[in-house]
Amino acid sequence: MTTVRGPAAGRLSPAVRAATGRRHARRPALTLFALPSIALVALFFLIPFLANVVFAFVRWTGYSDTISWSGLTNFALLNQLGILGHAIRITVIYAVISMVVQNTVGLGLATALQRTNRANTIFRSIFFIPVLMSPLAAGYIWAAVLSPNGPANAFLSAVLPGTYHYAYLGHDVSALVTVACIDAWKWSGLATLVYIAGLNRIPAQLTEAADIDGAGSWRRFWSIKFPLLAPAVTFNVVITLVGAFSALDAVFATTGGGPGDATTLLNVALYNQYGQSYFGQASALGLVVTLLVVVTAVPLLGWLRRREVQM
Amino acid sequence: MAAARRYTLLSLFALGWIALPFWLLIVNSAKTEGDAGALSVGLPARWSAVENYATVVHQGRYLVGLGNSLLMTVPVILAVLLLGSMAAWAYARSPGRTLRFTYYASVLSVVLPPAIIPTVYTLTELGLNGTRLGYLLTVIGTRLGMVVFLCTGFVRTLPVDWEEAARLDGANRWQVYRRIVLPLLSPALFTGAVLLVINVWNDFFFALFLLQGPDRATLPLTLCQFASSSTHGLRWNLVFAHVILTSLPLLVAYVMLQRRVLSGLTEGGTTG
Repeated sequence: MTTVRGPAAGRLSPAVRAATGRRHARRPALTLFALPSIALVALFFLIPFLANVVFAFVRWTGYSDTISWSGLTNFALLNQLGILGHAIRITVIYAVISMVVQNTVGLGLATALQRTNRANTIFRSIFFIPVLMSPLAAGYIWAAVLSPNGPANAFLSAVLPGTYHYAYLGHDVSALVTVACIDAWKWSGLATLVYIAGLNRIPAQLTEAADIDGAGSWRRFWSIKFPLLAPAVTFNVVITLVGAFSALDAVFATTGGGPGDATTLLNVALYNQYGQSYFGQASALGLVVTLLVVVTAVPLLGWLRRREVQM
Repeated sequence: MAAARRYTLLSLFALGWIALPFWLLIVNSAKTEGDAGALSVGLPARWSAVENYATVVHQGRYLVGLGNSLLMTVPVILAVLLLGSMAAWAYARSPGRTLRFTYYASVLSVVLPPAIIPTVYTLTELGLNGTRLGYLLTVIGTRLGMVVFLCTGFVRTLPVDWEEAARLDGANRWQVYRRIVLPLLSPALFTGAVLLVINVWNDFFFALFLLQGPDRATLPLTLCQFASSSTHGLRWNLVFAHVILTSLPLLVAYVMLQRRVLSGLTEGGTTG
């Protein structure tokens, strides 16, 4: 049809002409639909993202009008101040704790609530509520629950001998663990839904067959369901880890980066540098967050993908 | 038997994980400052709910925050859903190499963290730093990828026949998109809208860097400023009242739409 050209085309019905013309005009017209999106993504994601690679290596502060190339000076300065290595270390620890807690809670709840019935639907909607809260709000709520005179210590004092007034957010290690768990609390409901969707995609015959062969529920879970759940695990592990690398809000509401610098995650350190008008050093920290995401997410994605069982 | 034990365990877990923190939040938001300082789970000795919530509305600039949050969230969601679905249609139906590159660039923005300092620089160059428009454009630009990703996958599963039939009937491209593609996309768009609302309503990161001055503050910013405004420790009753008022709009929407929200997130989009 597309070979019809010249005078012959004049005798065709309008519909056929529209159809023949389509091949020709398809690409430019469709590209037009993507154009606003392309422009916005380029201007507000891609260009800043690429510019960050440059900004991390320039001297740029609020105290001078000139921006000049400075090589690795930003990283060296951050290192001298003891910020860089420390922030990387605790950000990784924070992200791993948050990821493990989210996925453990999510997988546990999903296994318990997989079947759709009335009681499970109610539990699902209750466990989803924290997802709607801002991380800031989650931070304030849990800072209260876990404060020295809060209900967590009151509960411990009631069930265990002795009285407890432990400041969960007042000690280096426990503060980091606590804030990571608060972050996990906020997001676990979403991981649960992803796992429920994953579990529901597993053909029922497989678990039934294992059941007939005499496999217990524990065995059924680890030998049948877990390997077949790989796509959901991949998605959740990567998303929760990557999200936790950029955490900031929960820290603002609980410790403000303390005690000392025990919870000064990379993004908190970035905000501090930005607040002191050290824009070059702030960019350097931003680049570290990006690199962390890239070096973790890409190999992890590949590794988890290879483990996925083909169905 | 097994079911009974499972529901007992689930209820115990829900008690500590959900009921306790929310009960503490609600009951202490109705106490006097001195009472709330004890952070007990008991009922208030003296009810002070009206005073607390009034203080939050006046001193906590709640209405300013609410207005700004609506002013930011609504346009972002409408723009991202419209522009994202338009782009997704083009990406799904066109084999071009340029479009494939921009598609992958958009999808990368879902995983990679936004580069905030260069964004501030770009906005300053455009004369938009600190303004609502600058914030809007940045949030739209960084959230589009998610909707593009959700919708492109969805369009690929749709048969082209309907679109071709509409073209044969003389519909132009905009009409095909508006009358055929957009209605078919509604499940994916609903999932996208839910994720966007949760994300944008609670956004603190971009607001912290990109919105300047108390008159432009969204709810998370007003909450943070209000909480840290007192010099000696948090006034728990007021902080809690602010937390409740800040979360209330989403919670109300959730109560009304929860069944659709949960099924939308379980069935739509979140594949491995």
